[in-house]
Amino acid sequence: MKGKTFLILSALVACAAIFAAGCTDGGNGETTELTALSFGYQPSTHQIAYMVAMDKGWWEEDLAPYGITTITDHKFPTGAPEMAAMVAGEIDVAYVGAAPVISALDAGLDAKIIATVQVQGSDLVVRPEITYTSPEDLKGLTIATFPAGTIQDTLLRDWLRNNGIDPDNDVDIRGMGPGDATVAISEGAVDAVFLPHPSPATIIAEGNGYTAVASGDMEEDHACCVLVASGDLIRNHPDIVEQIVRTHIRATEYSIENQDEAAQIYHDMNKVELDVIKASFATWDGRWVTDPAIIIDSVVDYTVVQSELGYIKEPMTADEIFDLTFYEKAVAA
Amino acid sequence: MTADMDNKTKNQLRRILIPVASVLAVILLWQAIAVYIIDNPFALPSFTQVLDAFYRNLFGPRGTLAKDIVISLYHFAIGLSAALFVGIPAGIAMGWFRTVDQALNPLVEILRPIPPLAWIPFAIIWFGLTHGSAGFIIFIGAVFPILVNTYTGFRNVPKVFIEAGKVLGCTSSLGQIKNIAFPSAIPEITAGIRISMGVGWMCLVGAEIFGAGTGRFGLGKNLWTYYNLHQMDSVVVYMLVLGFIGIVLDIIFRHYVTKQTVRWQGQEM
Repeated sequence: MKGKTFLILSALVACAAIFAAGCTDGGNGETTELTALSFGYQPSTHQIAYMVAMDKGWWEEDLAPYGITTITDHKFPTGAPEMAAMVAGEIDVAYVGAAPVISALDAGLDAKIIATVQVQGSDLVVRPEITYTSPEDLKGLTIATFPAGTIQDTLLRDWLRNNGIDPDNDVDIRGMGPGDATVAISEGAVDAVFLPHPSPATIIAEGNGYTAVASGDMEEDHACCVLVASGDLIRNHPDIVEQIVRTHIRATEYSIENQDEAAQIYHDMNKVELDVIKASFATWDGRWVTDPAIIIDSVVDYTVVQSELGYIKEPMTADEIFDLTFYEKAVAA
Repeated sequence: MTADMDNKTKNQLRRILIPVASVLAVILLWQAIAVYIIDNPFALPSFTQVLDAFYRNLFGPRGTLAKDIVISLYHFAIGLSAALFVGIPAGIAMGWFRTVDQALNPLVEILRPIPPLAWIPFAIIWFGLTHGSAGFIIFIGAVFPILVNTYTGFRNVPKVFIEAGKVLGCTSSLGQIKNIAFPSAIPEITAGIRISMGVGWMCLVGAEIFGAGTGRFGLGKNLWTYYNLHQMDSVVVYMLVLGFIGIVLDIIFRHYVTKQTVRWQGQEM
């Protein structure tokens, strides 16, 4: 009996070790042939460059010469699950808010920001019956925004503190996804929302609120969405990373020059009404940009804020977050 | 006598030592795999990291674990109470009255498979972001096991009991339900409540992730918050606390409710 028990336990330990060995990171710095790439993105007009490039087949076309034959993508409601997927190795390239990248880097994500996607572009929308003249009017209100660790949560809390409002005690901030927040303000379950476009345009179009503060008024040219590549891709396939940046620049410039077509592409991929998307473009303060140098200070500031909020252990440096070489090579080419 | 006492002591020791040894073995294995094989706290935080996170979440300046437990138990109480209030009478009505069964059965069978999370938009629309909203999601998960088991208990009442009751003068439906069918159905009803408690507790994360209740406290709420912040050691703490409280609730129910009701039923019969 004792012998049997020992054998069973040994078999269990061996199975567990074999199973765990399969879970370990196999990266060892050697260059391996890469034929498939996985992208992550969110259904926000902030990240329209990704969708334009996907719709026009530019990812496949531009990456085929590097041996990439399969491109897949995953749509995420917010940045946090997208970064969790990247930490787990499920995606190689992410269009994502800068703030989730920071908390993921703090948790051990092996990746770098290689380009900017967009700055500003979120609105604080309040219910029609609420009068807003200054941040003081927000005291006592319930505000829905993205969950802890996201750009919107980080920016909102920092802006409230800078205006003498305690985000933990003077207002009631509820973290949730964009769909839940839109329903909540529509039904009067919250007094305000702070969301990235096009959600504010949807809410306003339905008569459930008006824009009180644009995020660019909270912090001019604040970093929002960025382009992130995994450390494995950067180390082992720098040529592919450089091409990804070039394709991103191409798609961004095309979106800026062809906004109506970009709106149509977004509508086709995300089921948001075309009129709402066009209204969003007309009213938002967001700008699609590509140069990561624009947002370095803003992102490093985010690490200070997130450290103060207890989201990360300590502030980070630009070198820990960015790799600017790919953008520099892409624009020099 | 001495041999009997020795055996009894050995059995008591085995009942304690085997589970304890099993848990210790799993903890050692977990720690070894996390530290020496995986070595990635995101993929698998070690037992010691989880212990440290538990201490921080309970006693640290930003720790909210105690308050999270209280709020979650409150949401659970709301959901389970509503499930009992709706499920038992509905199960009785469907189990006793054929017409009610025929009318409600299709509705129950359509609604039952709908996942509790699918009801989140309506939870917000109907109840706002209140504690009731979180309780509603738990109610959706908990009501159907109670309803179905109550229904089954009533459908399975032996006809001979009803006939005997009629002979002894219990001729009204209400009297038969109260004095014959309900006592007979108690084992199924209590089994249904026990299943409901488990299912309702499992719905807690879904019930709290959309900002219902306080929006800041709750085991489900802050499990998801720590996930959003990629602090997986705290995620594991909250998972284990959820599991532990689930066991405690089940033990309390099994030993204090089931035993009482079955004992009472045994005395009556």
